[in-house]
Order: sequence, then structure tokens, then C-alpha cells
Amino acid sequence: MAGFEELPEHHLTALSDGQLIDYLRRAREAGRHDAMKPAIGVLVYGYWDSLVNRARLKLPPADAEDVAGEAAASAIASAFDGKSVGEFRSWLHTILSRRIADYLESRKRKPRTRQLPSEHEGEEEVWGDEPSVEFEGEALFARDCLRQAHAEIEDPRHRRVIDLYVRGPHSAAETADLVGDGMTEANVHQISSRFQKRFKELLEGGNTSE
Amino acid sequence: MSEVERLLAEYKQAHRSGGDADPGPFLARTSGVEREQLAALIDSYLERAPRRGFDAAAFRESPAAAVADSAYRSLAGSAGLWPVLLPRLRNQARIRRADLVAELAARLGAQSKQEKVASYYHEMEQGRLPASGVSDTVLDALGKIVGYGKDALRNAGQMPAPGGPPPEAGAVYARTTRVPAEAEAPAAPAEPEDWDEVDRLFRAG
Repeated sequence: MAGFEELPEHHLTALSDGQLIDYLRRAREAGRHDAMKPAIGVLVYGYWDSLVNRARLKLPPADAEDVAGEAAASAIASAFDGKSVGEFRSWLHTILSRRIADYLESRKRKPRTRQLPSEHEGEEEVWGDEPSVEFEGEALFARDCLRQAHAEIEDPRHRRVIDLYVRGPHSAAETADLVGDGMTEANVHQISSRFQKRFKELLEGGNTSE
Repeated sequence: MSEVERLLAEYKQAHRSGGDADPGPFLARTSGVEREQLAALIDSYLERAPRRGFDAAAFRESPAAAVADSAYRSLAGSAGLWPVLLPRLRNQARIRRADLVAELAARLGAQSKQEKVASYYHEMEQGRLPASGVSDTVLDALGKIVGYGKDALRNAGQMPAPGGPPPEAGAVYARTTRVPAEAEAPAAPAEPEDWDEVDRLFRAG
């Protein structure tokens, strides 16, 4: 098929998520399967640590990688299914959240899988601990509290501080620079501390309704 | 700075430095509400973390290589998400592949042709067996073993639409730790009228 040009790996790494997905689509349509491999690798590697560590927060270690892996592959495959996935990163994490919920739901229905005859006694530990459904409930509640604490911030500059500093990858100094308009590093710490305190109050209160 | 703020800052530093950044050890240093608080904050941070820059050597040594291989086999193959889903379901059900195959053969009444069933199942996991040919009988039996619905298995096999010729055996990334070397697709007779019952179950739909 005309219009597809294979790119070297170092070019692929510079592409945005959307551009990589587009590249994959064109490679697939052109029947250039080998050209898809490096682009898939860039996407999966780029988000692997975030996905697997989010999964580790809620699942037994032995299953976190499997669930994160299925989420990554499903999210990439979905981009070829005619669905509009919007921002890829957001879509990826949405799929992961669904897979985690599915996993925990299946565990609720089937709390302990039978052991097959060829499985030796004492090997269960290789699979890790059983997941805690109760923990998922706590995690969902904490997530709601975090959302509420964020929504309660009235000043958009303060909200940006939380997004950049608390929920984002930036240091207090970088955040102050990025927000500008007189924001100082000390302000960033104060805003962050107030936010964390409110978040903790909501968690301890056991009720996120106003 | 509170203990939670300090641990969150440490965690973000560990994550940015490119290490494994398992949150477990950080959570282990807290308890109660503070642990929940830290877990939610780490979760929120990871959800927004930008794509990590590609490192070819680290990728080859990472579990991400096997995941990328599964995604590749899904996109290039003819069995949708089975290359991703089936190994995960098998692991989740704590069933060894040999045991799964034995049970599948038994449920299909094909104990005497267990090797053939094993080859077909291997092709399903590799994305090389067209999902449309695999019968409901097989999917129903497989679903009962791994605790997954027949229809959900069917849907997973159809997504995304096949993208051309299936990948050849060995057309994978350098490191695919989860894919054992096994036999190729069973050499079924070319003519459907010569197929046996196992061939029909896995190829005739």
C-alpha cells in the first residue's frame, strides 16, 4: 500500500502516542507487520512501569503483571477496533482500572481456585497472596476522597499546583515556576499541605458528602 | 512536611529515576488512614505519569517485551486478543498449561488426541489459529476451566479484526519469556472432509 514509510526506532521514540497509533494503523493496513513491532515496544515500554505499579497497589504481586499486560495489549488493540480512544494514556489507565475490577470481581465469585493433581503441595506461595476485595473498596473510597478534595479547591492556580506537584512529576520549585504569577516554592508547600490535610480529613470522616 | 508527603516525594523520585518503583515498600512504612492516603496519591501520580523514554536494552530485559509480543500477535494474527487473554486466564486460574490441555481434551472427549488438542491450544495462545474456526464447544469447555464466559472468549478472539496473514512462528521479540517453544500448528488434512473430530472442533467453527 502506498503511503506507508517505515521509520527507524529513534524516530519512533520521538512520536506522540497518537502519532504512534496512527503509524501502527498504517503499517497494519499496509501488511507491514514487522514495522509494527518497534512501535508497539515503544508504547508498551513507555507505560509499563506506571501500569504494573498501579496494578500492584490493588492486586497480588504475582497477578499484577498479567493484569497490567492484558490492559496494555487490549488498549493498543482497541485502537484498531474502530473505537475512538481519545488520549491514549487516559484510555490505557481506564482499561487497566476495568481489568483490575474484573479481576477482583472474579475473585469474589471464585475465592480459591482448586489445586490440580499435578500441582504439588506447598507450591501455592509461588502465586502470591489472594487479593483482598475489601482493599479494593478502600481504594475506591480513597479515590473518591481525593477527587473531592481536589474539587473543593476554588482557586485554579492552587488546583494547578496540586496537579503539577502532588499528582504530577514536578518539584516545588518547578511548580512555582510553571504556575508563575508570584507563586513561590513556600506557597506550593503550603497549598500541598492544606490539600493533603483535607484529603486525610475526608478519609477519616468516612463520608465524602458535604 | 507530613510523613505521607515525604513518602510520596520519595516514591516519585524512585519512579522518575527509572527503577522498578514498586510501591509496596513505601506503603509498608505507613499504616491505617495514612497508608490509604499514600496509596491513592501514588495511584493518582502514576495515572498521570508521562510515557517513559524508550531504552532498547532495558526493554529487552523487561516483562514489557513479552507484553509487546502479545500485543503484536494480537494485531498481526487472526485470533484477536487471545494471545494476551488466554495466558493471563491460565495464570489467574493457577492452571499449568499441561493440566489445562488435559482437562480440555477430557471435556471435549478427545483424551486419546491430547497432543493434537495441545497443538491447537498453543496456536490459540499464539494468535495463529483463526478465532472464527474455533467452535463454541471448545470455547465453552475452555471457559469452564479458566472461569471465563464462552461469549467473552469469542468476543476477545474477534477483536481487533484480523490484520492480514498470521505471524510466523518465531516472529517475536528477542525475549519472550512466557511463550514456551512448542510444536507448530497441527498438520490437519487439507481437505475438510478428511478432518477428524478434533480438527473440526478447532477449525470448522
